[in-house]
Amino acid sequence: MSLLVPDFLILILAFGIFALDLLKVPAKVLWNVAWLSLTGIFVLLNTLPAGMSHEWMGAWELNNLGLLLREFFVFSALVVTLLTRRYFFANNAQLKRLPEFLFALLVVTFGSIVVVSAKELLTLFVGLELATIPLYFLVAWNKRCSLSAEASTKYILIGSASTAMMLFGLSYLYGFTGSLNFDVIKSQLSTQPLDNLFWTSAIFIIVGIGFKLALFPFHAWAPDVYEGAPTPVTAFLSVSSKATAIAFLTILLYGPLAPIHKDLDFLLLLLAAVTMLVGNLGALRQSRLKRFMAWSSIAQAGYILTALVGPANIAKPAIVFYLFVYAFSNYLMFWIISILESTRPTTFSSLQGLAKQYPALGAALAVTLFSLAGIPPVAGFIGKLFLFGSAANAGYYVFIIYAALNSTISLYYYLQVMRAAYVTPGSENPQALAITGFDKGVSLILTLLVLLAGFAPWLSNNIHTILQTGP
Amino acid sequence: MTDLIQLQESIWARHSYLILALPLLSFIINSLLFSKKKKISAAISTVLSGASFAYVLGLVIPWFKIVLKAGSAPAQILWNWNWFPMTENFGVKLGLLLDPISAMMLVVITAIAFLVHVYSVGYMKDDPGKGRFFPLLSLFAFAMLGLVISTNLLQMYIFWELVGVSSYLLIGFWYHKPSAVAAAKKAFIITRFADAFFLLGIVIVAWMNGSVDFLLINTPEAAAQLNRTVSLGFASFNALSIATLLIFTGGWGKSAMFPMHVWLPDAMEGPTPVSSIIHSATMVVAGVYLTARMFPLFSAAPFTLEVVMWVGAFTAAFAAIIAITQKDIKRILAFSTLSQLGYMMFSLGVARMGTDINSLGYSASMFHVFNHAFFKCMLFLGAGAIIHRVHSNDLDEMGGLRKQMPWTYAAMLIACLAIAGVPPFSGFFSKDEILLTALQNGHIAVFVTGTVVGLLTAFYMFRFFFLIFHGEARTEISTAKEDPWMTFPIVLLAIPAAVGGLLLHKAFGSIVIPPMQISDICFANYDWVPWLATAMGVLGIALAWVLYGRKQTDVAAVLNTEDRPRWYQVVYDKFYIDDLWLWFSRTLIIKTFSGGLKWFDRNIIDGTMDLVGAVLQRGGVAVRKMQNGSVALYLGLFFTGLFLVAWFGNLPLK
Repeated sequence: MSLLVPDFLILILAFGIFALDLLKVPAKVLWNVAWLSLTGIFVLLNTLPAGMSHEWMGAWELNNLGLLLREFFVFSALVVTLLTRRYFFANNAQLKRLPEFLFALLVVTFGSIVVVSAKELLTLFVGLELATIPLYFLVAWNKRCSLSAEASTKYILIGSASTAMMLFGLSYLYGFTGSLNFDVIKSQLSTQPLDNLFWTSAIFIIVGIGFKLALFPFHAWAPDVYEGAPTPVTAFLSVSSKATAIAFLTILLYGPLAPIHKDLDFLLLLLAAVTMLVGNLGALRQSRLKRFMAWSSIAQAGYILTALVGPANIAKPAIVFYLFVYAFSNYLMFWIISILESTRPTTFSSLQGLAKQYPALGAALAVTLFSLAGIPPVAGFIGKLFLFGSAANAGYYVFIIYAALNSTISLYYYLQVMRAAYVTPGSENPQALAITGFDKGVSLILTLLVLLAGFAPWLSNNIHTILQTGP
Repeated sequence: MTDLIQLQESIWARHSYLILALPLLSFIINSLLFSKKKKISAAISTVLSGASFAYVLGLVIPWFKIVLKAGSAPAQILWNWNWFPMTENFGVKLGLLLDPISAMMLVVITAIAFLVHVYSVGYMKDDPGKGRFFPLLSLFAFAMLGLVISTNLLQMYIFWELVGVSSYLLIGFWYHKPSAVAAAKKAFIITRFADAFFLLGIVIVAWMNGSVDFLLINTPEAAAQLNRTVSLGFASFNALSIATLLIFTGGWGKSAMFPMHVWLPDAMEGPTPVSSIIHSATMVVAGVYLTARMFPLFSAAPFTLEVVMWVGAFTAAFAAIIAITQKDIKRILAFSTLSQLGYMMFSLGVARMGTDINSLGYSASMFHVFNHAFFKCMLFLGAGAIIHRVHSNDLDEMGGLRKQMPWTYAAMLIACLAIAGVPPFSGFFSKDEILLTALQNGHIAVFVTGTVVGLLTAFYMFRFFFLIFHGEARTEISTAKEDPWMTFPIVLLAIPAAVGGLLLHKAFGSIVIPPMQISDICFANYDWVPWLATAMGVLGIALAWVLYGRKQTDVAAVLNTEDRPRWYQVVYDKFYIDDLWLWFSRTLIIKTFSGGLKWFDRNIIDGTMDLVGAVLQRGGVAVRKMQNGSVALYLGLFFTGLFLVAWFGNLPLK
């Protein structure tokens, strides 16, 4: 039972902040409580022993993958909490609403944790919804901004359609196997002859999660929503939300759906192939940074999907490692965008002359872009190597060549951002950016994480060890 | 043989790595610590090089006594360090192989290196780059010593490249002169070009034979193993012929044989001590040394030996003809070096008759390497002393120097007589043996060529000699005394040039023989050959005297290069081989070949890339257009996607 303490703490923290806000505790204090607690929970999670598989009430499980992903989601929530400072502290009216924001953020994080803990379909679905519904309202955070409202509307509409499909698919799965429990479903699928009823459910489940992962052709909401949402929400969407969906698929494919995993290989690779291509093509001609990041994230989801065709012992570490690297790089990128945003529009032209004006910021930008593009020796390269290695292990060599070519296309547009920052001359008297010591500290840490995950094997070794420990 | 084992355990043999370590040490400490302190640098280099020479003598003299007593000199490996093991019996080893030719080269290199160091103290006295000069000279000595003691082809290749690098650095020593930089590049590129073939040859030998150790590949078994047809994809070859030919190509470039000779005359842009040690006495004979080192294997491939012979003989004649017309004294000596290298090369090439091996060709070649090293080194040092005095390389500026430089004059006379093949000076003995081998083994054409080149050699050397020292001074020359730092090595080197041949020709004939089965048939002895050779030398000298030495010689007319018949111009311009190379590299390689590739790259490769780029950009536009913000479209896409997934998903639907 004590292993569940971190999960409860997240929930307590969420409601605690909500309650304390009602008791008129100042928002700044609550913000400090939030990030300190998240740090504490993160440390606590790291002290949990690996190699244990615990089950509670046949619905809740804690295993190695779940443990690592918990750490990931708490880390992600922590970075976004830190990122909110810039947006809420400046303005008193905004500051008042900060606790609500944190509450929603923590609920989403708890939802993600529910997804990675689920042992049966209902819990899984509830977790997924818990990790999605608060996002609708987070996207619409700037009530007066029409772009934000429009984005939220689109998100809700398409999101509900996908939820409907997901629920439909899950209900058919339940109907086919007669159970919600993963183990029963697994044994049923391996013994029972599969009919079209079952395949329909599989298609609907994949399409449903395709929305959350922004796979082509279920991606259309992403660019609009990413652009309309406030930057911390966009960052959170691109990392935690995507990771939740990947976790969902990983758990299903290596759990209850394992018997039909091989049959789904082609579909998964097809989706990966079109998603990375469309993502790359979409990013090719962007001039607004957040929209650009939306397309970039779509392409990244395609890469991650590639790993899912490999065997569990290779795919899982590859995915977890890449998620961490992706989080480091994306958050660093969004942090830079947030710095720009306070004084300039978030377009490529705002980057002009950046490297000259702020060499350190330019270097951080270069690191994150190299990582996203997968250029050695930064972390993104090794991450992609693991992902493609997983697919190679299943023998899909031609696909890897295709993915590598796609990665080359992505190099083009990532380098365009570089060019804006490094080559294109800026204006004579560039506007100063508001860079605080706090910004410097966090972006330095993120930059170091991106670099160190590539140079030093601490992260990948750690992930491999944890996933290989125990039963 | 027990003596040899005793020697192997002696302190000299056990620490024989010091021969290499001392120059290397000099290079390291001088370049790290004393690059600014020129005097200390010169002193350390000279002392360590002298110590290295002393050490070689300590090792070689007892060895020489033992083998002389025993009458044979089996090769010995004193140490062999497995530097970079790859498989169980293959790897890069660094070792010391002691046999007659490596012992001979060790003595030659260390002795000359030491004397050149001493000479350089005087020659480089006022040069601002002195602090850079001595470490490089030590680096060269280290590399060259490593090359000659090689126990295997890979070690030889490593040091082979290292001498190439130090040669490059020293030719371009005066890097502020564009001509020096160009010459350095030329030398490096041409030798590297040849080395590429060398490496390929090594690869073939290693691959077919499983070993690169000289002691293992210089055997009839190895030759038999190599003697089969291999397919290189586009054509089939006899592996033995192709491997030996490729390896020889490395030596071809390094020893500057025609048509890869063009770098050597240009290499004279380096300081004269460098020309003396690297580009006459030691490094350029590496090609000859390599051929000799691999001789047992080469001799199993008649075609390769034939190539060696013709390349050598042709270069000998070709370079001698050019030498006659040159006016730059260092270039005359450079062409002379080419010609003499040709002798050494063809001597190895003619050493086989039918299936019999005539050991005389091998020992004569090595003997000529030995003799040539001393007298040519000394000629260069003498030329350097002259250049130092008159500040010009041009014969126009010289004349009448015998009074100002009596020591140099006397020493140079001995060297010129030696190279002209006049008994009893050293060159006579080795050249006579070379000619004799050619005749004995029935290569009449080569014999005739060699004899005529003997005449030419005497002629151009004494043209050089008379025009420098005799007649009237053509410019004003300072009357300062000769610098003892420079004169001392010159005079010392005159000793082996004078008596080396006489004293050592018996020993060379009996000890320096190829490590293989040698036919014991008695080769015909032609008593008249020495007389002919001597007559040719004397005739050449006499001709030179008539044309250039007499009082009434019109020096201005003989040195005129403008108003000359066409053939003279052609020879003076070195048969336009340099221009041919330029055409080859500029027009053929750069313009035609690279130009073609460039066109292909611009139009086909870039074109394809542009097309891909354009398609991708179009795709980008299409994706953007699809993203028009309409929820209806998005949802439509969503539901269409559902059906597309079912359709294209390749699921086992029934």
